[in-house]
Amino acid sequence: MILSGYEEVEHTADIALRVWGEDFFTLLRQSAKGMYELMGILENPGQPMKVIFTIDHGSAEMQLVDFLNEVLYIVENQAGYYDNFTFINTRDGIDVHASGYKIISYQRNIKAVTFHDLEVIETKTRFETTITFDV
Amino acid sequence: MNEISFDIFTQIREFEWEISPDFRSDMQVPVRVFASKSLLQDSLRDRSILQAINVTTLPGLVGAVMVMPDMHQGYGFPIGGVAATDIETGVISPGGIGYDINCGVRLLSSQMSFEEIKDLLSILATTINQYCPSGVGVNSDLSLSKNELADACVKGAKWAKVAGYASQEDVHHTEANGCLEGADPSKVSERALSRGRTQLGTLGGGNHFIEVDIVAQVFDEKAANAMGLHKGMIAAQIHTGSRGFGHQICTDYVRQLQSAVRKYGINLPDKQLVCAPIQCPEGQDYLGAMRCGANYAFLNRQLLANRLREAFEKVLAGKVDNWHLKQVYDIAHNIGKFERHTIDGEEKMVCIHRKGATRAFGPGSEGLPDDFAEIGQPVLVPGSMGTASWVLAGTQLSMERSFGSSCHGAGRVMSRSQAKREVWGEDLLKKLEKEGIEIRAGSMAGLAEEAPQAYKDVDRVVESVVGAGIAKKVAVLHPLIVIKG
Repeated sequence: MILSGYEEVEHTADIALRVWGEDFFTLLRQSAKGMYELMGILENPGQPMKVIFTIDHGSAEMQLVDFLNEVLYIVENQAGYYDNFTFINTRDGIDVHASGYKIISYQRNIKAVTFHDLEVIETKTRFETTITFDV
Repeated sequence: MNEISFDIFTQIREFEWEISPDFRSDMQVPVRVFASKSLLQDSLRDRSILQAINVTTLPGLVGAVMVMPDMHQGYGFPIGGVAATDIETGVISPGGIGYDINCGVRLLSSQMSFEEIKDLLSILATTINQYCPSGVGVNSDLSLSKNELADACVKGAKWAKVAGYASQEDVHHTEANGCLEGADPSKVSERALSRGRTQLGTLGGGNHFIEVDIVAQVFDEKAANAMGLHKGMIAAQIHTGSRGFGHQICTDYVRQLQSAVRKYGINLPDKQLVCAPIQCPEGQDYLGAMRCGANYAFLNRQLLANRLREAFEKVLAGKVDNWHLKQVYDIAHNIGKFERHTIDGEEKMVCIHRKGATRAFGPGSEGLPDDFAEIGQPVLVPGSMGTASWVLAGTQLSMERSFGSSCHGAGRVMSRSQAKREVWGEDLLKKLEKEGIEIRAGSMAGLAEEAPQAYKDVDRVVESVVGAGIAKKVAVLHPLIVIKG
C-alpha cells in the first residue's frame, strides 16, 4: 500500500484532489505537491528560496485550507515553489519552514482552496481527505 | 439519506419544477428549477441538485432557492443558484456569491459590418491579445497605490470615468451604474489590496475571454434596436471578474465566518455555505468588503473595454468609417445585492445571492437606463468557446418567478480532466480556425478544458428560460475572434 500520495478526482466545474498521508504533516506536504501539479508549475532549480510562516490553531480542515491558501499566495505573489516542508508544532499553531525554487511559469490559476465537503479523516493507518479547488 | 432522483420533483409548469421542503427535514424553503425535462434529468448526473437542497437550510430564506437550466456542481452553492434572504432576519453567505466576486459579462455593439473588417480579423485578434493583458500570472501595466485602489473600489466604474477610462454612457449602461453603495475598503485585507493592485485591468485565465462576434440573427427588432444590435454587424464581449482581489476577499471571509457560524448557532450541511446574519458585525464586514470586490470587477471590465477600444482604433482607424464600440450593457453573474421584490404578495427588501445567474429585470424595473425601460434589461448568455452567445431581455415573469434572474451561460457537463483526456488543444485550435474563428490562447491545455463539448448546448439552456418566460430572445451572436488567457 502506498502510504502517501494524491490523485485528481472528477468535478464538473472545478478541480478536486484526493490526498492521503501517514500523518497530518505528510497530508499537508502531499496536498501542496498535488496542488502544484494541478497548477502545472515549471520551476527553476537555479534560484533557491526559503520561507517561514505560521498556521494558526484550528480544526484539521481549517489548518489544511490555511496552509494551502498560504502556499497559493506564495506562488502568485512571490513566484515561489516549495518541495521541502518542515512542520513544528508550537504554542501559536504550526510553524512551517519551507525551501524550494523560483517559478518560471505556471499554466493554471487556482482561485482558492474551498471548504466544500472538506473532512480530514484519520484512520488506523493514515490521514486522508478530498479538497475542492475553485479554478 | 434521501435519494435524489427525478421522482422527487413536482412539475409546476412546462419548464418549472419543485422539490418540496418536506423532502429533507432541514429544508426551510422549496427548490425551484427552471429547465426542460431533459436538462433537469441531465443535471442529476452531478451534485448540483443536492447542493441546491443544502442551500435551502440557510437561515432567513424567502421564497424558494431557484436554480437555472445551466446549473452544474459548484462548491457549497450550485452554479446557477439564486437565493434570497430577508435583510433583517437572514444571512449573507460568501459561498453564495463565489470567489470571483462580480464575475460578469460586458457586451459592446458597433456600426461596423462583418464585410468591412473580415480581412482584418487576424491582425485585430493579435492586436487585442497584445493590448488586453491576459493569462495566468500576467499582471497589469496600471499601477495604483493602495490608497488609490481603495478609492477605486469604493467608486467602481465611476472612478474609471473620472480617470478618463469610461464615458458617462458606459457607466449608465452597467448594472448598478458600475458601483455598489456601501463598499468599505477598511474591511478588505492588506493581502487582498496587494493582489488587487497588480491585477486591475487584466483578463485572467480559465473560462474568461474576450470575443469579437457577428450579430447572426435578431429575434426582437425593437429590443435589438434599443441595444444597438443589427444583423451582420460586429459586437464584442468581455467575460472576467474581480481577479485575485475578489478571490482573496472571499477566502478571508469564508475563513472568518467559520467561527461566526458557531457563534450564531447556525447548523450547515456543508462548511462552504458559511454565512453570518446580515445585521451582525461579521455580516456587515463581509458586505462592505464584497462590495469593494464587486466594484473592482466593474472597473476591471471597464479598463479592459478601454483597451479593447484602443485595439480596434489601432487596427481599424482610417480603414472603416466608424470603428467605435458602444457599450450595450455590463452584468454580474456572481453577486450579492439588496433588491426589492414581491414575495407572496408582499414587497420586501431582500439580499439576493446570484451564483452563476444573471439579473434579468423586466420592463419598467427600477435602475434600468431609459433606453431599456420598455424592453427590459439585457441578459448576456455566452455560449461555450466557438459556439453562439445569446442576448436576451428580462421579463415581467422573471420579476414574479425568479427574483428577476435568469441563466448565465451554457454550463459545464464535463470535468476539466475529462475534457483534456478527450480533446487535444492543438486539434481544437485547428478545427475552430477552419471554421473561420481566430483564436489567441495562452495555453493549449486550457483551450482543451474549455472545449465546446465540455459544456451544455447553450441553445437548450436558452429555450428553457424563454419557455419558462423568465427571459425573451433578442439576438444571437457568432464568434469571429476568441482571446483566452
